Amino acid sequence: MEKSISVSHLSKRYEVQALQDVSFDVNRGEIFGLIGPDGAGKTTLFRILTTLLLADEGSATVDGFDVVTGMKAIRRRVGYMPGRFSLYQDLTVEENLQFFATLFSTTVAEGYALIAPIYSQIERFKTRKAGALSGGMKQKLALCCALVHRPSVLFLDEPTTGVDPVSRKEFWDMLETLRQSITILAATPYMEEVKRCNRVAFLHEGRLKGVGSPDEILEKFKDVFNPPALQHHEESTSEKTEENVIQVQHLVKAFGDFHAVDDISFSVHRGEIFGFLGANGAGKTTAMHILTGLSQPTGGHATVAGFSVSTEYEQIKRHIGYMSQKFSLYEDLTVAENIRLFGHIYGMASAEIESKLNRMLQRLQFTDHANDIVSSLPLGWKQKLAFSVSIFYEPDIVFLDEPTGGVDPATRRQFWELIYEAAQRGITIFVTTHYMDEAEYCDRISIMVDGKISAIGTPNELKTRFNQPDMNSVFTLLARQSTRQSD
Amino acid sequence: MRLHYLIYKELLQMKRNPFLKVLVLIYPVFIMCVMPWVMNMEVKNIAVVVVDNDRSTLSQQLVHRIEASHYFVFKGEKASYSDALNDIEQSEADVIVELPDHFERDRMQGKQPQILVAVNAVNGTKGAMGAAYMNRIVTEHLSADALFSTLTDRVSTLYLYNKHLDSKLFMVPALMGILLMMVCGALPALNIVAEKETGTIEAINVTPVGKFSFIMAKLIPYWFLGLIVMTICFVLAWLVYGITCVGSLGWVYLLALLLAFCFSGFGLVISNYNQTMQQAMFVLWFFLVVLMLMSGLFTPVRSMPWWAYLTTFVNPVSYFIEGIRTVFVRGGDFQSILPQLLGLSVFALFFDTWAILSYRKNE
Amino acid sequence: MKEFWSFIIKETKHITRDVRTMLILFGMPVVQMLLFGFAISTDVRNVRTVVVASQLDHQTQRIVEAIDQSEYFNVTVWVHTPAEAERLIRNQKADMAVVFSPDFATKHGGVQLIIDGADPNMAQQYSNYASQIMGTQLMNIMRIEVPNSVSLKMLYNPQMRSSYNFVPGIMGMLLMLICAMMTSISIVREKERGTMEVLLVSPVRPLLIILSKAVPYLVLAFAVLLSILLMSRYVLNVPIAGSVWLILLVSAIYILLGLSLGLLISTVAKTQMVALLASAIMLLMPTSLLSGMMFPIESMPSVLQWVSALMPPRYFISAMRKLLIMGVGFRHIAQEVIILSAMTVVFLTAALLKFNKRLE
Repeated sequence: MEKSISVSHLSKRYEVQALQDVSFDVNRGEIFGLIGPDGAGKTTLFRILTTLLLADEGSATVDGFDVVTGMKAIRRRVGYMPGRFSLYQDLTVEENLQFFATLFSTTVAEGYALIAPIYSQIERFKTRKAGALSGGMKQKLALCCALVHRPSVLFLDEPTTGVDPVSRKEFWDMLETLRQSITILAATPYMEEVKRCNRVAFLHEGRLKGVGSPDEILEKFKDVFNPPALQHHEESTSEKTEENVIQVQHLVKAFGDFHAVDDISFSVHRGEIFGFLGANGAGKTTAMHILTGLSQPTGGHATVAGFSVSTEYEQIKRHIGYMSQKFSLYEDLTVAENIRLFGHIYGMASAEIESKLNRMLQRLQFTDHANDIVSSLPLGWKQKLAFSVSIFYEPDIVFLDEPTGGVDPATRRQFWELIYEAAQRGITIFVTTHYMDEAEYCDRISIMVDGKISAIGTPNELKTRFNQPDMNSVFTLLARQSTRQSD
Repeated sequence: MRLHYLIYKELLQMKRNPFLKVLVLIYPVFIMCVMPWVMNMEVKNIAVVVVDNDRSTLSQQLVHRIEASHYFVFKGEKASYSDALNDIEQSEADVIVELPDHFERDRMQGKQPQILVAVNAVNGTKGAMGAAYMNRIVTEHLSADALFSTLTDRVSTLYLYNKHLDSKLFMVPALMGILLMMVCGALPALNIVAEKETGTIEAINVTPVGKFSFIMAKLIPYWFLGLIVMTICFVLAWLVYGITCVGSLGWVYLLALLLAFCFSGFGLVISNYNQTMQQAMFVLWFFLVVLMLMSGLFTPVRSMPWWAYLTTFVNPVSYFIEGIRTVFVRGGDFQSILPQLLGLSVFALFFDTWAILSYRKNE
Repeated sequence: MKEFWSFIIKETKHITRDVRTMLILFGMPVVQMLLFGFAISTDVRNVRTVVVASQLDHQTQRIVEAIDQSEYFNVTVWVHTPAEAERLIRNQKADMAVVFSPDFATKHGGVQLIIDGADPNMAQQYSNYASQIMGTQLMNIMRIEVPNSVSLKMLYNPQMRSSYNFVPGIMGMLLMLICAMMTSISIVREKERGTMEVLLVSPVRPLLIILSKAVPYLVLAFAVLLSILLMSRYVLNVPIAGSVWLILLVSAIYILLGLSLGLLISTVAKTQMVALLASAIMLLMPTSLLSGMMFPIESMPSVLQWVSALMPPRYFISAMRKLLIMGVGFRHIAQEVIILSAMTVVFLTAALLKFNKRLE
C-alpha cells in the first residue's frame, strides 16, 4: 500500500522528552488514530508533521515530502485542526470560511463539493459569529475550514474534546465519507472514536507503545483503555432516603427571547449520583450555575439543601462543593496550599485540615507531590485533586461540570472510584459528562434537550423505555430531537 | 479567619510571581533614580547666538556680558540675522540677540537704538524665561548703574521650602503618587481580571466567601505592597538625593493609604466591568493618564482655565498631590492637609462602595 | 494578492469589532489634544498673592494694584506679619507673598517676595514677573525714564501657548502606541489563541501573514495622524506652518518604524500580557518621558541625554516641531529623517531576521 505519512526514529526534547524514537507509517486513505494520555507527545508529533516544529532526531515525510526540506509543498497539501478552536471568534461563520479558503488560494465555491455535507448543517448560521456557536458547531466549522482547500492529508488534534456524543458521532460520520480521498491522522480520548479508526498508535510518555488495529491495541493495553467496569453499588441504593436535597420546579433562565433553561422540574435524593446529561448548548451549565448560586433564575423555583436559589444563595454555598469545566484550582499554588486554602474558606479548623489533608494525599497517592506546584501536574491528577478539594469539607452536595474531559479511560475510572467513595459517605453527586460509559455509572440521569428535560430515570429504566441497547443510543435518540439549532 | 487565609494565598501567589517581584523592587528604584532627573521642567541651558552688526566697544561689551552669564549657553556670533535664524531652525539656538548698526554712535548721541531679541517660543515657558532673562541682562548693561542698584536692592526674593530651587524636591512626591496608583490600582485590577480569565474566580464564587472578604483579601496585600514601595521611595529619596520629609511622615503615610484605598476601589470597578486583561489595561491607562494630567502632578492647577480647575475637586490624585507636597515639602501639619484628607476619604469611600456593590457573585 | 487582501479585510474586522479598544484608541488623542490644548498649561496665572504691609501709603497701594491688575497675580489677602503669610503659603492658601518693609515709602525701604518654592520652575517665573511689574512701578514712582532699548520678538508662537509644544509630542506618543503596541498584541493574540498554527500550516508565505497584519494598523495610524492634525489646526488653532507633504512623509517613516518595533516585540513575546507590558514599559514610558515631549531634553543630565538619543520619538517630535510649528524646509530636518530611516531599517531587519517560520 502506498504510504501517505512515514515517521522514522523521531525524537524531540523540550524540558522533558516529548518524543523518543517514534516510527510508524500511515497508508493513503486511512483514518489513523493517535491515542495516549495527556502529555504523551501527540501534539508535538502533529506539530512536527505539519512542519511547525523541527525534530531533534529522525525524519518524517508527509505525502512524499520531507518535513524539513519540503515545508512549502507540505503546507500546500495538508489541513490542520489544532486542539483548541482555531477559529476567529469575532468573525462570522462565512467570514471564517472565506478567509481560510483564500488562505489556500482557493474559493469556497471550488471546495464546496467536499465540504457541502458538513457545511450545509451550519450554513444557516453563516452570519453568526463563530464565538457564539455551540461546541459541536464550532467543530464542524473548523473542519470545513481545514477541508476547504481539498488537502490530501488531514491532521486532527483531539478535535472532539468537550463535544457531546451526538455531535461527535456526526463528526466521525463525516470523516468516514472523506476517507477515500484524504488520509486522516486524528488524536482522540474517546474509545468509541478509537474504534472507528483503521489503525491506531498508542503513545505513552513520548514512546510508541504499539501500532495496530483498534481492537488489537485496546485489547493489548486493556488496563489503560478498557478497565473493568465499576461495580454499581445497587445494595446501597436501598439505604438512600427519599429526602430531596435538590428540588427544582419550573425553573426558567431567559436571556432576552432565548430560554437557555426552559421550565425544568426534577429532584435529587440525598446520597444519589445524579447524571445531568445534554448536548452542547442544551442549557446544562446554565442550570448548574443557578443551582450553585452563581446566577439568578428568571422564573420558577428551586431549592438546594433546603435553601432557595433565588434568595438564599449565600447559604447554599455553605453546603455545596463545585468543580467547574475550566480547571478551577490555583495553578501557581502547590497541592497542599490549594487544599488548605479551600479548607480555610469553608471555615475548617487548622488541625482538622492537616489530618484530613494527610489522609487525602495518602488516598490519592499524592503524598510525595504535596509541595508540587499544581501547574506542573498532569491533567488527570489535577482533575482528581480538584474533585478531592471540592468535597474536602464534606459538603452535602457536590456539582461536577464535565470533570473528566480529555483523559484516558483508566484515569477516568480512578476518578469515578473517588466519586463512589464520596457517595458512600453520603455526599450527593450532581455530575455532567459527555462520556456515556460514565452515564451508566450514575444512579439516575436526566437528559436535557433544548433547555427542557426530555427524560429522567435510572440508566436501565431509560434503556428499556426507549428500547435501546446502551446509554449512547438513548442519548443520540433524544438529542437528535433537538430543534434549537434552527432558531 | 477566612480572610486571613485568603490573604495568605495572595501573598503566596505574589511570592511565586517573578514579574511582580521585579515590578515591586526594580521599578520603584528605577523610577526614583532616573525619573527625577528626567521630569525636570526647569529651563536650563538656553542657547544664544549674537549678531553684532556694530562691532564697537560698547556692543562687544554687551556680547561679553551675555557670554559670561551663567544662564545662557553662548553659541557664538553670527554674521547675519538669517544665519542666526538658521541656527534656530536647526534647533541649535533658542535666542538671537541682534545689535543694530551704529549702535554705539546712536547711544552716544542720546538716541535709543533698539536691540532685537528674538526667541524661539515653540516651548512657551522656555521662550518666556529666555526673553525675560535676556531683557534683564541687556537693560542692566545699558542702564545707569545707580538706577539698577536701587532696584535690585529694593526687590529681593526668598524662596520658601526649596532654597536651591531643586526640581527633584517637587517631583519626588509626584512619583510616589504614580507608583502608588500603579501598585494599588492597576495591579489588583489586572489580578482580578486574570482570575476571571482563568476561571478560578468561579470556584471562589460558589464558596461561602463573602464578596467583602474576597475583595479585602485581594486588596490588603496590595496596600501593604504600596506602603512598602512608598518606604523604598523614602529611603531612596534620602540616599540618592538627600531629600527627606519636612513634615511628619505619619501624615504622608495616611495620605498614601487613602490614595491606595481610592485607586484600589477604582481599579476594582474597572475589573468588574471588563472581561479581558487587554480591555482592562486600556481603560485603566486611559483614566490614569487623564487623572494624572489634570491633577497638578506635572503642571500647576492654577494655570488651568476655571472649568478645568473645577475638575481638580473631583480628582483624587489632585488632593493627594497637594496634600503630600504640603507635608513632604512645606512641612504642613494636620490642619494644613485637612481638606485633602477629607477629599480623599470621600473618594475612597465612593470607589470602594461602588467596587463592592458592582462585584457580582450572583447574576 | 488575493490572500493579502483577505488578510487585511479579516484584520480590519477584528479591529472594528472591538468597540471598546477603538473608542479608547480614538478617544485618547481627542481627549489629550483637548486637555493639552485647553486645560493644561504652564503659563503663570491666578497666583494667589498675599500682601504684607504695615501701613497703606500711596506707593504701596500703587504697586499692589499693579500686581493685582496684571494677568498673573490675584491679591487675595492683606496680613500684617511675614509669619502669617508664610503660614498661608504652607497651608496652600497662597502661593506668593509681597512683603513691604515698614519704611518702604518713607526711606526707600525694600520689598521682599516670599514664594512657595515647591515648584521651582513656577516659583522662578513668579519672581520674574513680579519683579518686572514692581520694577516698572518703582521706576515710575522714582520718575526715572526707563530706557526701552530691547524689542522682543517671539518667533513661531507669539502668544506662547503651550499647545504648540504639546501637539508634536502627542503625535509621537500615540502613533507609537498604535503601531507598536497594537500590532504586537494582535500578532501575539493569534499565537496565544492557536490560530497562528493554522495560518503557518498554510501555503501563504509567513512574511505575508505578518505584513498584512501591519497594513490595517498603518491605515489606523494615518487616520489618527490626520485627526490629530485636523484637530490641532481647527480646534486648537495651531497653524500648520510647514509643508503638509513633508509632514506626511516624516510621519510615514515614523509609522513604519513603529510597525517594525511592533513586529520585533511580537517575535519575542509569547503572550498578550508580555507584549502589552513590553510595549508599555519599554516603549510608552521612555517615549513619553525621554523624548522631549513634556520635559526638555537639554535639562537632563548628559547620561540621560545619550539614552534619549536612542529614542526614535525624539527625532520625530523634533522634526514635527520644526515642520508643524516653525515651518522650515527639508534641509533642516534632514538629520532627523536620516536617523529615523536608519532606525527603521535596523528594526525591520531585526524583526524579519527574528521572525520564525515555525513555532518556537
